[in-house]
Amino acid sequence: MKRREFLKFATVAAGAVAAKDALAFDYLAPVGDPLGHYPYRGWEDLYRALWSFDWFGRTSHSVNCTGSCTWRGFVKNGILFKEEQFADYPEIESNLPPEQRKLPVYNPRGCQKGANHKEYVYGPQRVKYPLVRVGARGQGFFRKATWDEALGLVASKVVSAIDTPWSGGSHSPDAVTFFAAIPAKHHITLSGGFRLANLIGGVVCSFYDWYCDLPPGEPMTWGVQTDSCESADWFNSKYILIMGANLMETRIPDSHYFVEARYRGAKIVMVAPEYSPTSIHADLFVPIKPGTDGALCLGMANVIVGEGRFDRAYVKQFTDLPMLVRTDNGKILREADFVGPTPGLAPDADPRMRKVYLWNTAGEVPGPVIAPGSLGIPHNDPRWTLDLARFGIDPALEGSFTVTLQGGKEVTVTTVFELMKEKLAAYSPAAVSGITGIDASLVADMAREFAAAKPARIIEGAGTNHYFHNDLINRAQILLVALTGNVGTPGGGFDHYVGQEKLWAEHGFFELSFPLGRPKQRFQNTTLWTYAHADVKSDIDSILPRPLMSYIRESVANGWMPLWPKGTLDNGRDPKVLFVWGANYLNQAKGYQDVEGKLWPKLDLIVDLNFRMDSTAMYADVVLPAGSHFEKFDLSTTDLHTYVHPFTPIINLLHQSKSDWQIWRELAGALQQTGFKFTDPVPDGSTVTRDFSTLQSQFDTHHSRILGTTWDVSDDRNTCQFLLSASPETDRFNIAGPHRFANVGEMSSVPGDSIIKHPQRFPRTSEEWTSDIKEGVAYYGFQRMTEHKRPLLTLAGRQQFYLDHDWILYDFKEQLPVHKGPVDIDQYPLRWITPHGRWSIHSTWRDAKFQLRLQRGRPIVYLSPNEARARGLLDNDYVTIFNNHGRVDAHLCITPRLPDGLAMMYHGWERYTLNDGWQSPTNIRIKPTQLVGKYAQLNFRLNYWGPTGNQKDTRVDIRFKRRESSVSSAAASSAV
Amino acid sequence: MATIQKQVRMVFDLNKCIGCHTCSMACKTMWTDRNDGLMYMYWNNVETRPGKGYPKGFEDAASGAGFPDGNPYLTSDAMKKVLTDNPLRPIVSHYGAAWEYNYSEVLKVEGGNASSQMLVPSPEPNGPDAYASNWDEDVGREQMPNNYYFYVPRICNHCTKPGCVAACPRKAAYKREEDGVVLIDQDRCRGYRYCVKGCPYKKSYYNPREKISQKCIFCYPRLEDPKGFPTGRHSFCFTQCTGRIRYAGFFQPASATSDNFEAEHRDLLSGARSLSEFNARFNVNRLLYEYKVALRLRPEFGTQPNLFYVPPLSPPKLSSSGSVSSEQRVPIGLLAELFGDYAGQSYSERIARVGEIFEKIEDARAGRNPGLLRILIARTEQDRLQLDLGFAA
Repeated sequence: MKRREFLKFATVAAGAVAAKDALAFDYLAPVGDPLGHYPYRGWEDLYRALWSFDWFGRTSHSVNCTGSCTWRGFVKNGILFKEEQFADYPEIESNLPPEQRKLPVYNPRGCQKGANHKEYVYGPQRVKYPLVRVGARGQGFFRKATWDEALGLVASKVVSAIDTPWSGGSHSPDAVTFFAAIPAKHHITLSGGFRLANLIGGVVCSFYDWYCDLPPGEPMTWGVQTDSCESADWFNSKYILIMGANLMETRIPDSHYFVEARYRGAKIVMVAPEYSPTSIHADLFVPIKPGTDGALCLGMANVIVGEGRFDRAYVKQFTDLPMLVRTDNGKILREADFVGPTPGLAPDADPRMRKVYLWNTAGEVPGPVIAPGSLGIPHNDPRWTLDLARFGIDPALEGSFTVTLQGGKEVTVTTVFELMKEKLAAYSPAAVSGITGIDASLVADMAREFAAAKPARIIEGAGTNHYFHNDLINRAQILLVALTGNVGTPGGGFDHYVGQEKLWAEHGFFELSFPLGRPKQRFQNTTLWTYAHADVKSDIDSILPRPLMSYIRESVANGWMPLWPKGTLDNGRDPKVLFVWGANYLNQAKGYQDVEGKLWPKLDLIVDLNFRMDSTAMYADVVLPAGSHFEKFDLSTTDLHTYVHPFTPIINLLHQSKSDWQIWRELAGALQQTGFKFTDPVPDGSTVTRDFSTLQSQFDTHHSRILGTTWDVSDDRNTCQFLLSASPETDRFNIAGPHRFANVGEMSSVPGDSIIKHPQRFPRTSEEWTSDIKEGVAYYGFQRMTEHKRPLLTLAGRQQFYLDHDWILYDFKEQLPVHKGPVDIDQYPLRWITPHGRWSIHSTWRDAKFQLRLQRGRPIVYLSPNEARARGLLDNDYVTIFNNHGRVDAHLCITPRLPDGLAMMYHGWERYTLNDGWQSPTNIRIKPTQLVGKYAQLNFRLNYWGPTGNQKDTRVDIRFKRRESSVSSAAASSAV
Repeated sequence: MATIQKQVRMVFDLNKCIGCHTCSMACKTMWTDRNDGLMYMYWNNVETRPGKGYPKGFEDAASGAGFPDGNPYLTSDAMKKVLTDNPLRPIVSHYGAAWEYNYSEVLKVEGGNASSQMLVPSPEPNGPDAYASNWDEDVGREQMPNNYYFYVPRICNHCTKPGCVAACPRKAAYKREEDGVVLIDQDRCRGYRYCVKGCPYKKSYYNPREKISQKCIFCYPRLEDPKGFPTGRHSFCFTQCTGRIRYAGFFQPASATSDNFEAEHRDLLSGARSLSEFNARFNVNRLLYEYKVALRLRPEFGTQPNLFYVPPLSPPKLSSSGSVSSEQRVPIGLLAELFGDYAGQSYSERIARVGEIFEKIEDARAGRNPGLLRILIARTEQDRLQLDLGFAA
């Protein structure tokens, strides 16, 4: 029975009862006491009948929210009619007796959107059949196709794109592009497309940097992608500085931990330009001028250093503050300065360029010593450690020294700490007050409190990370927590939560996704790809030492950043095919006008795999119906917790949909039918023979190097099992047992180590992560550094605040964290921010009526009362938001939560809920410091390092468009 | 007069409410998405305060509603007053329309030609007076940087003296003797809507499709039969509360008549009586009577709600130079307008109580009241979802 029929049935049943009793009420039976004995309670069975089910099962929601919440769905007559959190995450402290446990439980993780995924499963957005576009792109004209026809069409277009010679090669597999987001939210759904790309030579695009969720300061300072604590560790903090993060809206399942930490005695300080929902539960709300958070951190660092409140022993051991820097050229002193470079090795491969120095004061004669843990020290060398005492090293933090280099040249060197102090001098509380608008004495008080409270942490969000100078802001934030010795301690650190990058079980995922190996895969930073192929015109050249395109050309020519198809900048090659799945690329693209207007026409084929008709599907050529979150096996993880749990097919696939994994498999089959074959020179310098005539078995059969066995991955569940088995985080678990349960008792037949039984906590982590997982301890970052003295994978081997890449040092003078304000290139009066909100996960649920009914029913933009008054605007007026990039209309909400000078629209509105793209006022602006590569820790890696797609520096104005007449009295008169 | 054997009791901690509306959606997706007459109803809703509430201005004309002492059903004079003082509020302008959308014109999910490129709500919420259940979300009051707002989630209070019961001329509303849950008999109701008028909290709703009134049922089918789930007795809005703000338990009156609830409440609050062994099992009662940190919403309505709130702290005000003051930004007077212990409590007493509660909470935060702190943190789900304890021997 379809849901609608089921509901109709339920209504009729209720009506029938009423009709029967209407006759019975010819005589109204008496009631004595309504407060205790009501005699006619037989009717109560009505609701009891509604709360009955045939079975329930476990699933999650694969949306880019970092929630990773385990849910149960209840099914009756084949219809999943109700979702409820399973609320059975085992306790982290389950190794302790209950009376000794302190951490609140993770239950019941979920939110109001996850509570109603059924709306999408059964709603009018659900794609039911393969669709082929018949009108113009975006017009919404489609015809129904069979799977064979749709896949055949896609296969032939893919082959013809590949089978196109160009001046540098005989084939163009690099014109076939794959964009998907967030493997952690649905491992095998995402992996399927990557696996096919790897087998046919296609380009795999990044998301984390493009979405501007990557905190560039982390790879720069720590040599990691991101390694934040799980949310339970917030409870361990004594001081939480929340900067640009709106936990109550964007981390709904986790935010109870900061509220509970507050009860436990933590001081919560919210730094944001606007009084966000998170502010209401803070102990202090600190309104700050947008984009100046880095200056606040530097001001606090100024006070902490100036008043000697920093952790001297910690910074000597775990940061580069004692590292020696040449004063003649600003370069870090390296072994090559003394002995020359290793002959025959490129600088980025030369260990002598990767060993740095400390000034040891503990030796018989004070002098320079190679810093243990430097990147150039092999990992099997005992000096690959941060245990300085073991080598009798006590580094000078202050002072200038003379060293004699190769060839006898004497140069003066000094420590990073000395240089830092010089930089920090510019950030007195008074100066910072001028930049940030925060009272100077408050800046100093916050610094003292932060230094005194241990453990203290910064929680960072998109409110700071989405600025052009996000790398500088991050580095200043990390400086504050490192100076105070808070990195690598429970309850302390810099913890960034934007995007869902952390794929705990990486080993299995990467091998499944790239069966030929990652070195043979074409990877692409999506910010650069979109910038280049949407022919974006740089509007920031006036603030750069040289034009952005010059930096891009140099980066690509040096092999720092890839740009596919090869020869894009010189030969004008264009991408020809774009696959999008598990993402809404077009709708979310910065520089929307250029993407729709200039990139889209270059593509011969756009394919969207989706359970719902989103904006990218609407603008696609072929839409393939994917199974919903209730209809497939898959895996879910997040950086917010340390558990893995499954999706299971609680209901069968609806209409003609297939799981994403099966769609990719079948596309491999369709490509096999072409019998196409070509030779492909791949990035690692080797050549791969691509023989499509065996593509199906290449896809279905996995020869695992990790496990040394061959796996049949033609089946979704078996594929999940492979991924679990091949990763150290998950190799003790399985996805075995029944998955539909008529009652709770039936769950006892699920094996105890199955993730269907309950979410399973990782017992350990791979070397990718900076910390072990311990029983009874919430995960926090950099424990291996503080506890095992394990070096970081930075040039200095430690938290590195000084970077001497030529561009960073000479062109931008950002060798140390400094404050650079927002890029106010747009000459408009209002800063335009588009934060994540509670009512959608990006574009998902933006078109869902049950969510819309709890808002204002359609897109709104917020202004302060003063800004509205200045423009003669009333609440709920229809207004136009505009600048020279584009315009979009929305209804106005006037609220004092916003300061003057700011306009805000929660992001992600679908193209078809507006008259234009919500990203129309934005442009793509690449910061050249994020194009660097082949520098120690700064090497392009998918979703780890590459330019971010920032957009918060945008400015707009708002003008009146229309004042609609009030709700008609006729409509209003239907009183209750 | 018969006995309520044990009364369901609730505490919502507003310091933990994150305004996520998962409670509203939890209820909506179980009980009120089944026909179009139910769609506008939120048996559970979350309001931004200060704000107009749901329905709009529901507190403004509550006089006469409630439950006059000594009479379970209103006399005809009192009934007339309820009718005159409590006009019915139109759905679209006061509750908000359950907007429908032109999906089939825009999204051709089965193939075909779209006739529109833009999804629009119907009826359109136009004009400066438009309203819906959450229309003034996060708006609040005063000017940056000292503006403020907070969230108040509301469900039926399952009052000891329910206004809906008092108002029903057909005697179709009642309290269940085993748990005090207030229900409207869906067979007996004829949709006169007196209960809608009689409930000062406006938690009884008229279903224009079925032409009867409906309300929160405290998920009684779950309360009766947990189906083996660990917290399965609890309403969906409790088990799905992601902020972990909701506590549920029972209160067992000492005497046989429900009239004594209020007297007992005062005795317990004043310390004139201690909690019985049964009542002491429940954190709701300990929050109320041992730690005295929970208050009723608008107790002056006189219906003796069984839902209590821990009032919200707020960040301090900032001076014009940006320095931190000692005054919290949500005025204590505003909180005292909203919250109090019982109907007859004076405004100044209510102000004192809110202040006292904030001191207790700050004491707990400073480590001086570990018992209260344990309950407020509610480490496990069993610390806040305790209805099972009411069925234990």
